[in-house]
Formats: sequence, structure tokens, C-alpha cells
Amino acid sequence: MSVIEIVHKHASAEPRAPRLSFFRTLRFRLVLSVALVHAVLMGTFVWSAVDKQSEAIRADLYSRAHSLITLMAVASTNALLAEDLGSLAEVTARVKRQPDVTEGEIVDVRGDVLASTNLHQVGHRLLEPLVGATAQGRNRLRLHEQIRVAGQRIGTVLLDMSTRHLQAELTATRDEGLLFILLALVVGSIAAWVLSLLITRNLYTLMAAVHKIGGGNLGVRVDLHARDEVGLLGGAFNAMVESLQRISEQVRSEHEKRTDAERLACVGELSASIAHEIRNPLSAVINSVKLLDRSNLPVTDRAQAIAILNTESLRLQRILNDFLDFARIRESRLVEDDVCALIEEVAGLIRQHPQAASVRVEVQCDASRCRTRHDPDQLRQVIWNLMLNSVQAMPEGGELHVRATPAGRVVKFSFTDNGCGIPDSLLDKIVRPFVTGRKHGTGLGLSIAQRILMQHGTSLSIVSHVNVGTEVSFELGAA
Amino acid sequence: MYQKVRLPRSVLRWLAAAALIAISSAAAARQPHYYRFGVLPLQSPTMLAGMFLPLTDALQQALHRPVQFVTAPNFAAFMRRVRRREYDIIYLNPLLYTRARRWGYHVIVKVAGEPFAGILVVRRDSPIRALGGETLPPGLRIGFPDPNAYAATIMTRQYMEARGIHVNRDLKVKYFGSQDSALMAVYYGMVNMAGTWMPSLRSMPQRVQQALRVIAQTPPQPQMPIAVRDDMPAREAGRIRNLLTHLTMTSSGRAVLRHLGFKRGFVVAHNNEYDGVKP
Repeated sequence: MSVIEIVHKHASAEPRAPRLSFFRTLRFRLVLSVALVHAVLMGTFVWSAVDKQSEAIRADLYSRAHSLITLMAVASTNALLAEDLGSLAEVTARVKRQPDVTEGEIVDVRGDVLASTNLHQVGHRLLEPLVGATAQGRNRLRLHEQIRVAGQRIGTVLLDMSTRHLQAELTATRDEGLLFILLALVVGSIAAWVLSLLITRNLYTLMAAVHKIGGGNLGVRVDLHARDEVGLLGGAFNAMVESLQRISEQVRSEHEKRTDAERLACVGELSASIAHEIRNPLSAVINSVKLLDRSNLPVTDRAQAIAILNTESLRLQRILNDFLDFARIRESRLVEDDVCALIEEVAGLIRQHPQAASVRVEVQCDASRCRTRHDPDQLRQVIWNLMLNSVQAMPEGGELHVRATPAGRVVKFSFTDNGCGIPDSLLDKIVRPFVTGRKHGTGLGLSIAQRILMQHGTSLSIVSHVNVGTEVSFELGAA
Repeated sequence: MYQKVRLPRSVLRWLAAAALIAISSAAAARQPHYYRFGVLPLQSPTMLAGMFLPLTDALQQALHRPVQFVTAPNFAAFMRRVRRREYDIIYLNPLLYTRARRWGYHVIVKVAGEPFAGILVVRRDSPIRALGGETLPPGLRIGFPDPNAYAATIMTRQYMEARGIHVNRDLKVKYFGSQDSALMAVYYGMVNMAGTWMPSLRSMPQRVQQALRVIAQTPPQPQMPIAVRDDMPAREAGRIRNLLTHLTMTSSGRAVLRHLGFKRGFVVAHNNEYDGVKP
């Protein structure tokens, strides 16, 4: 059975894997890492190539400009010496036809422009001294070349070249570079995505299987065909789950055995407790019957024996009724209902109880916020038992505070009295059957409450101090 | 795309002439910072520059003002500029000097020593050994620098006419613009013979000199003059004269002369020495 099938089969019964934000997934991080590395590397390489290409384009223009001005100087030397303006004009006219040339001038040693691509300049004297240097302005490259014969300057050639084409080429080269980087980023991201799919696909399979195990399904196995580390992990995972399943079955078996043993022990203990509880009244009944069997029994003793007989037989009846109540607790039928009304109802009954004459019962409950899922009859029994216990713990009178307080997703119930309290020696076993701190108690009230609450998925919590008071509390899930 | 615009050569020349006028008028309007030293285009401009730039450099130092070396595309252009008095100092041949005198120039020095004479050269392997009307093969080609080159053209033509050679009839004449061009034409066999003068021959590379042979030399005339324009202050003209005539006395002066090819330098000259020069 494949894992996917398992997922479908148990989808409704088992907890779903927690949803991760996409940005926290391993897949996203892998894609981001690979894409970034790809982009950085490609960006570096492409930018380096663009830089070199740009440098080459720039160098080409400079080289062309220098070659042109050198040729211009050579071509115009004789004509400059001879002041052959026609030939010089021919030189500048030819130069003007070269690409990117915006201006060319030939100037004699005095600074007089003898030829220029700009005819208006011819005949004028340049105001600025011409030196052999290269200058670069906005969109133009200006070069000067001295014409020298026998070591002496006889004139200067000036060349202005437009760098617009250069700039356009550089811009185009830069744009191409950026496009390449973008393309590399896209390709890298796609490649990283595919790679991450291959890597994380099996991890997701494993994660789904782990969640099924977390839900208690130990029959899950993963079927990974990968031959890499993840494949090995899948194999180890299956072995682990098999081992876990085997151990779980062993634990369950041990638990059942232990439960059976505890149950038998409990039955024995319960039987002993019942025998102990009924032995004293039964002995009293037997002794009273024996006394009544005497013919010479005085009337007063006879009356006393009959009274004992009545009292103890009633006690035996109460013990047996409580025990039957304890033994016949039915399955809980949970409904959503208001607990405040229930508490008030029971509080009203308890206030009328003869033992509660000197006890002040105070209830605090917000009906709009205290709705829980519970079995109303059973919860009424629990509340009654707990209130009655508190009242019986205050024979000289006192106060009983009953509170139902919403606390998040639960409603907390507490019953606090300022009675005699429970000795520490009894506190940890006070909820067991037939364990009681009162002389005439059966020791089944708290046991019944504990059993009912356990059927509701909760239990009693008891805090008590002798001669100070006791607080008994429990929680129920809010509706 | 843009359409290439070609200006006709005639338009370029017209524009050039207009520009030159503009330059000249502009220059005239300003205080002349430069003395312009015009040299007759006897040889290629670069070669002339190599010869005369050390001299202009020496003149600058003596006059404490810049001196610009210039030549011209050809003799006619040079003389037009002389006529327009564009040059402050000129170096030209005796015949052209007689015309320059009319436009306000006067000689201050002339080349010393070597007689001013034209020569006729052929290739060393040429069968032509001497001049004589009957000895020259028909269809012979002769090259000259320029129709106005005094020694190289005028004097050699007069020399040949005197020996019964009718140059225009018996020979095919070709002008090459400069002395060294005419000499290179002989060297490369483009012409059989060339008219020139000794300084130009000596300025040629050694291999060219060795490949050529002088077959005739004309009678001497007054040497090549250096003249100044008449508006030059006499004191400045005197400084120039003094410098030129004393070049042989200093090592730097001798270096200047070595570049010029005038080993004996210059001597003082007067206008009347050129009175007998006739075309």
C-alpha cells in the first residue's frame, strides 16, 4: 500500500500535518539559495563580461580616434607647411566622413585655423592654447595631436568625436547583461524548483507518515524509490516504525495484563472494604437478635436492642445503595448545556438539607459564558456529592463557595469550604471507594464523582488543609 | 544613415582662397606676433621644414619673437603670397627675387660659396653621357621642378637651348612641383633626365645620389637670396642679417647650416647684384 493511499484512507481520522508558511519551507529556502547563488555567480560573470566588452568598445573608439588623428596629422603635414588650404580642406572633409566624427580642425603654429569641418571656424584664431591631450566631455571625445617636424611643433590637429554611439553601444551591452542576469535568475529558479521538488518530495512523504504515526496509526509505511540519503532514511524509518509497532503491541499486552491484575486487586480490595463496612453493623444486628432471643431481657434493653437493630439495618441498606450507585454508573450522554442552572438547582436542594442549616452556600456563575458538554444527570450527581461532602465537613456551620469560571477553552468548577479539612494521610486516596474521614460516611461519594468525571475526560483536584478547609475542583470542556 | 556630402574640389579651392584672405586680413588686423618665413617650394614641404626649422628656431631666439616657417604648394602660389606680402622673410631664387623686389622686398643676405648654377642629372646607368642635339635619343623625357624654378628649369633650359636642343620640341617635358620630386622621377625611371641644382641633389638620400650622375652644369648666377619685407624695422632686419652672416662662427650656427646644406653660410648681399638676372 502506498503512502498516498494511506493518507487518503486515514485522512479524516488522523491529524493533518501542520501547514507551514511557504517562506519557511525547505523548498523555498532551497530555491532561494540556489537562485541567489546562481544570480550572484551569473551576475558576476556577466557583469565582468559586460565590463570587458564595454572596455573593448571604449578602447576601440579611442584607438580609432587616435589612429584617425594620427593619420590626419600625417596627411596634413605637408599641406600645413605649404599652407595648402585646399589639401587641408580635403583632409578635414575626408575626416568628417568618418563615423562619429563631429569636428576636425587643423591649426598652424600661431593658432590660426587653416581647415575645419566647420567652415565658419576657418581663418579664426583659437583663443585657448592647444596642447596634446585627450579630453572627454559629455557625449564627446576631444583629441589634440601636435604636428612636429624636426622636433618642432608646426601645428596642431584637433579632432572631436561623438560618443553617442559608444554610449548607445554601452547601454545596449549593459541591457543585454542585465537581461542575461535576469534570464539566469529565472533559469536558476526553475532549476532550483525542480531540484527542490526532487529533494523535498520524499521528505513530504516522510512527514505525512510521521503525522499518521503521531495520530496512532503504526501501520504506516513509506515507499521511497530514491537511492540517496532520503531513500536510506525511508528504509530506516520503516524499520523504526515496525520496531515501534512491535514494542507498542508488547506494551499493550503488558498493560492489559497489568490492568487485569489491578482489576482483580481492586475487586479484592473492594470486597474487603465491603466486608469491613458491613461487618460492624451486621455484628450489631446479630448481637441485637441474640439479645432479643432472651426471654428475661428487660424491657429497656429490649427497646435498646430493637433501636440498634433498626439503626444498623438502615446503615447496611445505605451502604448497599451507595455501592449499587457506584457500581451501576452508566455511560455518559454528553449534551451542550448551561451548568449554572444545574448548580443553582443543586444549591437550592442542599440549602434545604438538615445538615446545612448553619452553612451559607454561595454560588458564582455567569450563565452566558458557562456552557459545557456534559451529561446533566451525572453532573448533577457530581455537584450534589461534592456540595454534600463540603456541608458534612462543616458540622458546626460555615461557608461553601461554589464557582463556575470560564478559563479559555474550559470551564473550571470549584467547591471551597472552611470545614475540618482532610488529613494528609488520606488526601492521596480520598477518591477510592470506602475511604472516608467521617465516622458515618460510606466513602463512596467522591469515588462516584471521580468515576463520572473520568467518563467526561477530566478528574477531581483536591487541595485541603486540616481545620482550614478544602477546595475540590475540576474542569469541563467549554461548548 | 546619413548621406556623404562631397564638396567639389573647385569649391574647396575657392573656399580655401577665401579662408586664406580671411586669415591674412585677420592677421594684418592684429599685432603681428609671428614673423612668417616663406621658403620657395624647391623641395617637399617636409624636407624644406627639416632644412629651415633649425634656422627659424635660431631667428626666434635672436629676435625674441616667434618665427613661423611656411612654404607653398607651388612656385605660383608662393609668388602670389609674396605679391600679397604675406611673408616677412623670404628665401627664393634670384629670378623670382627680381619680381619680389617690385612688391617691397629687399635682399639682406645670399647663400655663400657655391656658385648658383643649374644641373642636369641622369641615372648612372643611363646611356646619355653629354648634351648635344644629335646625340639625344628621340622621345627623351625630361623633368623639372617648376616652370619658375630659376636654376633647375630656366637656367638649364637656357643652357640646352644654347646647345641647339629645343626643349619643347625635342623633349617631353614634365613638371613635378619640387626639386626632390624631379630627382626621384629620374631615380625611378619616370623621366630620363631632370633639371635641378646641387643643394637639392646633396639633400637626397645617399643611395639616390649614388644612382644619379650630373651630365651638365649651367654658368653661375647670383646665389639664392634671403629678403625681408620693407616694413620690417631696420634694426630687426639688421639682427637677421647679423645672425645669418655669423652662423659659421658658432657651433650652433654650423649645426643650422648643416641642416640647410649651406656649409659656408650666408654673406651680405645687395639689390644691385641681381640687376643682371633676366628670365
